[in-house]
Amino acid sequence: MAKVDTAVIKETKYIGGFVIVLSVLMEVVFLFLKRWDYTVLLGNLLSGTVAVGNFYLMGLAVQKALGKEQSEAKKIMHTSQQLRTFGMFVAIAAGVLVPCFNIIAVIVPVFFPRIAISFRPLFKDKDSKDVIDK
Amino acid sequence: MLEIAVGIILGCCALGAGAAMIAGIGPGIGEGNAVAKACEAIGRQPESKGDVTSTMLMGCAIAETTGLYALVIAILLLFVAPGRFIDILISTIG
Repeated sequence: MAKVDTAVIKETKYIGGFVIVLSVLMEVVFLFLKRWDYTVLLGNLLSGTVAVGNFYLMGLAVQKALGKEQSEAKKIMHTSQQLRTFGMFVAIAAGVLVPCFNIIAVIVPVFFPRIAISFRPLFKDKDSKDVIDK
Repeated sequence: MLEIAVGIILGCCALGAGAAMIAGIGPGIGEGNAVAKACEAIGRQPESKGDVTSTMLMGCAIAETTGLYALVIAILLLFVAPGRFIDILISTIG
């Protein structure tokens, strides 16, 4: 198996950290609304894992595609996106259908990586500044 | 009559889910184009591979969000909405 690119690991760690922080926030909101039970925790765990896993797999696909010809890179990304979407469909459908998962706690964390990316420029600027300072 | 109404609800929900998933086509094409251009950029400047990969990942994740919105809508239409609509129908009929 090929070595995973450091950029992929770094970005996945950032996304994973942010998903954990937002998941804790969501749990707190459920507690505050007095609607917390074990189904919220299980749904959050399922969906958070799927969201981070999807990002990591996308990173691996990007890494694989970057070393190829343009037409082959397009095909790799298209196939990867379709397979990942199917995987997410299965996971989210299971979360919605199985009663031990809270529907809201399953659906909301899927969008946490998008929120994490929105805040990325704040941390990116800091990294760039550190490099310039050095 | 009730059976026809339930059938129409289920059919419309399935059609809606299918229509929502049309949005799932876009991200795959977009990601493919973005990665193809990134390959070109790395070919010109191999030393910028790390930065390009990092930016690419974020761009692909943003592009994919559209597909995720569609996926969630489709799942809700397939698995959650029919039950709710049928409950509303039955409570309306009485």
